[in-house]
Amino acid sequence: MKNFDLIKLPFSKNNPILVQVLGVCSCLAVTAQLKPAVVMALSVTVVVVLANVIISLLRNTIPPRIRIIVQLVVVSTLVVLVDQVLKAYVYDVSKQLSVFVGLIITNCIVMGRLEAFAMVQKPWASFLDGLGNGLGYSVILIALGFVRELLGSGTLWGYPVMEKLGLYGIGYENNGLMIMPPMALILVGLIIWWHRSKNKDLCE
Amino acid sequence: MAKKNFSNKYIFIYSAVLVVVAALILTVVSVSLKPMQTKNQQAEQKQMILKTIGVEATRDNAAELYAKHITEATTDNGLTYYTFNGGDIIPLKGTGLWGPIWGYMALDADGKVIGAIFDHKGETPGLGGEIATDKFAQRFIGKTMAGGPIYLKKNADKNNPFEVDAISGGTMTSNGVTAMLQTAYENYFDIISIAPVTQ
Repeated sequence: MKNFDLIKLPFSKNNPILVQVLGVCSCLAVTAQLKPAVVMALSVTVVVVLANVIISLLRNTIPPRIRIIVQLVVVSTLVVLVDQVLKAYVYDVSKQLSVFVGLIITNCIVMGRLEAFAMVQKPWASFLDGLGNGLGYSVILIALGFVRELLGSGTLWGYPVMEKLGLYGIGYENNGLMIMPPMALILVGLIIWWHRSKNKDLCE
Repeated sequence: MAKKNFSNKYIFIYSAVLVVVAALILTVVSVSLKPMQTKNQQAEQKQMILKTIGVEATRDNAAELYAKHITEATTDNGLTYYTFNGGDIIPLKGTGLWGPIWGYMALDADGKVIGAIFDHKGETPGLGGEIATDKFAQRFIGKTMAGGPIYLKKNADKNNPFEVDAISGGTMTSNGVTAMLQTAYENYFDIISIAPVTQ
């Protein structure tokens, strides 16, 4: 596989959320607003890239029988480390992150990439693969956060868009269902539907 | 994956070394960053307390402004509260859905809320996490703790001095806030004025 494909494929034909359907739980939980969605997307990208590189460097020394445990140790160490550094240097961002830290450790994309890719590939390729998958995940998260915050709360990044447009004056109401997790599932379903109809080769 | 044979001995040593290395890294980082984290947390607490009386402080000048505006005091049963020129600030502590929630509430001499602020450890962002927003805190201004604690309710009556709108999608956290206010009301009963409510 060409290096460029490692970055490009996770965006569409092999998107972790749309095609592999991994990382959906966090995707539903944190996308009620745009800001946490972006913070989560960034954090997962950082962690998956670093974990991929570390596991790839260690790959020949890891005994297969305990590989999942080794992967978990690496991921949790990274996540706690990131959290500690953020708490000390960028306290505000760390407040935003608070609840997501645990979610990153359990994010199936991280474990999935380590198990399926980094265990058998060289560090540079693993770096690109981590980056591609992190960004592929980010795109969906940010798109969901955008739609859900705009239609559910009438704001974007906390800015009252709908109010400024004067829509409340003519009878517009926020859609309360948008901020509930089930609506995120429905939206993901719609995106997958649209994505499959554009990429017929993905249909089974 | 190349099928290599790893002996049990290798596996034991490998996992032991790995875990010790990870623990070492985390310990060193945690100990060396602790002072900065504690400083951030203390400054934030001061910022929060100042905000309830409408003083906007940055993390850098929080300590200075705090010393100027706020005096710490203790109730008869040994609980800390804060006083400012015009009333008292009571601390709030409780439990949300996923972890602790806390806040501060500034009350004037009649027990009327001048300002409030809330924060949480890990409530769901966009749902229960909304308690940390100004928008939520402002709903409390003008309500009163005198004569009974404030409680959260769906479609609260704006004219009722004890009712505040709950958060949609954040029922468990809202219940936590109600319980927290009840506890504070009981603990700080003596310093909340019990003068009859005037609307």
